[in-house]
This record gives sequence, C-alpha cells and structure tokens, in this order.
Amino acid sequence: MKLPFAANPHERQLIPDGRFTGPMPWVMAIMLFLSLLAAAAALALAHSASLGSQSLSRQATVQLLENDPGARTSQQRQVASRLRNLPGVSDVTIVPESEARALLEPWLGDVAEDSDIPVPALIDVEFSVAPAPDRLSALRRELQRIAPSVRIDGNAQWLKPWFDLVSSMLWVAIAIVALLLFATAATVALAVRGALNTHKGTIEIVHMMGGTDLQVARLFQRRVALDALFGGALGLAAAVAVVLLLGERLAALEPGLLSGASVPLYGWPLLLLIPLAVTGLSMAMARWTVLSTLKKML
Amino acid sequence: MQSVAEFDNVGLRYGTGAETLTDVSFKLFPGSFYFLTGASGAGKTSLLKLLYLAHRPSRGAIRMFGEDLANMPRSRLPGFRRRIGVVFQDFRLVSHLSAFDNIALPLRIAGISERDLEGPVNEMLEWIGLTERASARPATLSGGEQQRVAIARAVIGRPEMLVADEPTGNVDPDMALRLLKLFAALNRLGTTVVVATHDIHLLQEIEGAQMMRLDKGRLSDPTGALRHPPRPLVLRN
Repeated sequence: MKLPFAANPHERQLIPDGRFTGPMPWVMAIMLFLSLLAAAAALALAHSASLGSQSLSRQATVQLLENDPGARTSQQRQVASRLRNLPGVSDVTIVPESEARALLEPWLGDVAEDSDIPVPALIDVEFSVAPAPDRLSALRRELQRIAPSVRIDGNAQWLKPWFDLVSSMLWVAIAIVALLLFATAATVALAVRGALNTHKGTIEIVHMMGGTDLQVARLFQRRVALDALFGGALGLAAAVAVVLLLGERLAALEPGLLSGASVPLYGWPLLLLIPLAVTGLSMAMARWTVLSTLKKML
Repeated sequence: MQSVAEFDNVGLRYGTGAETLTDVSFKLFPGSFYFLTGASGAGKTSLLKLLYLAHRPSRGAIRMFGEDLANMPRSRLPGFRRRIGVVFQDFRLVSHLSAFDNIALPLRIAGISERDLEGPVNEMLEWIGLTERASARPATLSGGEQQRVAIARAVIGRPEMLVADEPTGNVDPDMALRLLKLFAALNRLGTTVVVATHDIHLLQEIEGAQMMRLDKGRLSDPTGALRHPPRPLVLRN
C-alpha cells in the first residue's frame, strides 16, 4: 500500500494546494488547541484526584473533647502512643494546642486564644492505606477505653464530595475532547466534500483515464494530513504555553485541594500524541469521505 | 473473432427522461476503424460515453474486451479504462496542468516513472507541433492546440481502443488529416478506433473504415459493414 505522503510531486499537482488549503489549517489549530486544553485539564484533574486519594484520604484527625485540660493533655499523649503501636498507622502527629486555637480563630476571633475556652486536643493520623469507615469505628471504640470523649474524622469522608466533583469534571473534560475530535472529523469531511466538488472535473478525467478511487483518496489524505500537522503543531504550541502559564499560577496558590492539579509527567507524551492522533483521524476521515463520495460515481 | 466491444439491445436514459439510445446492438472488432455519424442530438456522445465506461446502460448488455459489464464491480473498471483512450468533445484538459503534464497524465496514472514517460511525451508534443508550448497551460492554447493536446493524451498510452468525439472539429484540414493519419497508424498497430464526426468528408479519407449511423438514438448500418468482418484499412492521400 502506498503511503499518503508518497504521492509524487506530479500526482500532487492534480489537486492544487492553494485551492484546498484555505482556512483548514487554522480551523484544525483552533480545534486542537481546545482539545489539548480539555485533555490537559482532564489529566490534571485525574492527577489531582489520584494524589488526593493517595495522601489526603489516608489521613484522619482524632479529637479529644475532654474539658479538663490536664486530663486532655494526658489522654492526648496516651492516645498518640497507642496509635503509634497500631498496625497500618504510618504517622502520628500531636497538633500543638496553639495550632488548634489558630484553627478556631476565623470563627471565634481573638477569644480563641483565651486559655479559659476549652479547645479539643487534636492528633493527625496517617494510615498506610485509606481507612474504611468500619476501621475508623473499631479504632474509635478501642481509643474510647483510654479517652471516652474521643472522636475520629476520616478525611476521605469529607473529601468524598470533592472527589465526586473531580470525577464529574474529569468525565466532562473527556466528553469535551471527544466532541472536539468529532467536530474536527466533521470539519474534515465537509472540507473534503467541498474540495471534491471543486475538483470534480479533474477527478472525472482521472477516473476516465483509469485512475482508481484510492489514487484520488491519497491526494486528499495527503493534503488533509499536512493541514492537520500544521494545525496540530500550532495548536500544541499555544496549548502548551497556556498549560505552563496556568501551572505556574496554580503553583503559586496556598497548598490545598488544587495544589496537585497540574499535568503530570506522564501526561505530556499523551498530549503530544493528540495532534498525531488527530492527523490520523483526519486522514481516515478524508479517505472515507472520498471513497464514499466516489462510490456514487461510476 | 472476439469483439472489443459488444452491445446487445442497449438502451440509455438520463434520469426519467426519454431514451437517448434505443435498442443499440453492434460488435466492434479488434483492429477495426469505425466512424460514428449522425445529426446533433442523435446520441453519438451518449454512445461513446457507454464505450468509454462513463455510464452504465439503463438496459441491455455490454461486453468489453470479452467481459460482461453488468455485474462487474467498480473496482475493476479502472483497469478497463486504461485500455481505452478518449478524446472528449470539449477536450477536458486539466486547466492547471501544462500541455506536457496533461499529455503525461494517463502514463502517470498508470504508474509509469518520470524517466520513462519523458521521451514519449516529448515525442508526442513534437508530433502535434507543440514542443515550444510544452509548459503552456490550456487557457493559453488555441482551440486547435487544445484539441491536439487532448488527442495526444488519448493516444499516448497506446490504448487497445480509441474513442474520439469530434476530434477534428477545431483544427484546419491539414491538421485534421494528420490526426486521422495518427489514428490510422494506431489502428494499424492494432488499436480499434471509433471516431464520432459530423464531417462526412473524413469518411472518404480512410478506405475500409466502417460506418455506424445514429438516428434519434437508433443505430443504422447503411454500409452493412457492422454485419461483416472488417476489411483491411487504406488511408487515402
């Protein structure tokens, strides 16, 4: 089978470049730019969700609601010590009382620093795998023997709505990429039909001289491939610039839920593959359009 | 003798209109020279279109080079078309290609290398007297020059059958005679030639040529030639 780029210069003359090129490369560039942004967003969200599930959902906060400050501090040490000896617990950090009071400051103002107001004693716990609700309940029952007022909040519980949102956004991004690819294929089909109409006379002559449908299709495939590659390079350059700029802005944010929302290393080759995939898709679409149109001719 | 083309009760209708060709039956034998005559609108061009496989008949059977076209898949048609040279009435040169490239087109489509096609194309350009205009586009050529390029394009691949629709309509008598000599030369090499023409004088130039006459889409055989094996061809002058 002859490759689409193998058409010799004389074959290429049959469909003059100037008449077919027109706005196609620019339309392809815009489509690819949008596709790449959507794909980059999908990759970043997937990365963020993955990081979240790997780290945040493995964490839990133990609260001790004892009113007596002395007993509270004592229970905090005992509970932390017990936790450190439990299997599956990878890290235990006692949150200093000053930090706990600082957490209340947005709600209570300067009063939060008043030592007369009881503040729960906090312990951050990190598990080697995200604990299931049953595991947390069992742990709470065990710790209640040391501190009857103990409460355990697993991060996975309050992070669930966030992960659900990320998951929905991920699917929306994938759907946008799919729709843009569909629109690109439709654009190619329309452009090729237009070009076939423009060059109908030439194609009829080529047919009458014994030219095959594949010979004609190859000419259009080549033209479309060049347009897609040109548009792809342009769209890729613009999309990479935007993604890097947004990544820089995200990196400047305070650590939080969005801090992991950047394109991971493994995502860049995938993004580079999109223009090539679109080129292949466009060529396949051009070939299908030409062959199905020519089939109606004798 | 196996025929090059055989029509059996062929009818052709465009859309829902009246039949352009009705009950056309004939055989074209290898190495024969045929003139197809008839008034304007008699169906000459339609008959030629069936011969060069631009249309399928509405009814009847056509056999080309021994094979029935009725059930032939589209994918096999290009192979048959490469065996047929066509001179279109309106030339149908590719407007953005030079005279050289237009003449080279059938060879390039057939996959002949540039090295191998350059000689024959230049020879053909010389023969039609357009060597100096090899790089000229059709729009800059006169009607006669365009017709010569169209004829050169049709014969360069040494087709088994040459179909020409009014090939001498736009050239002077001398050039018309030269073109006929080319057709006759091809014919002597074994090419079956079918020339549609209004010019009754052309018929007298080639002794042994057979005549088909179309009248309102029906074929008549005034000389009886179609019913008999072809005679040896003699070019007068």
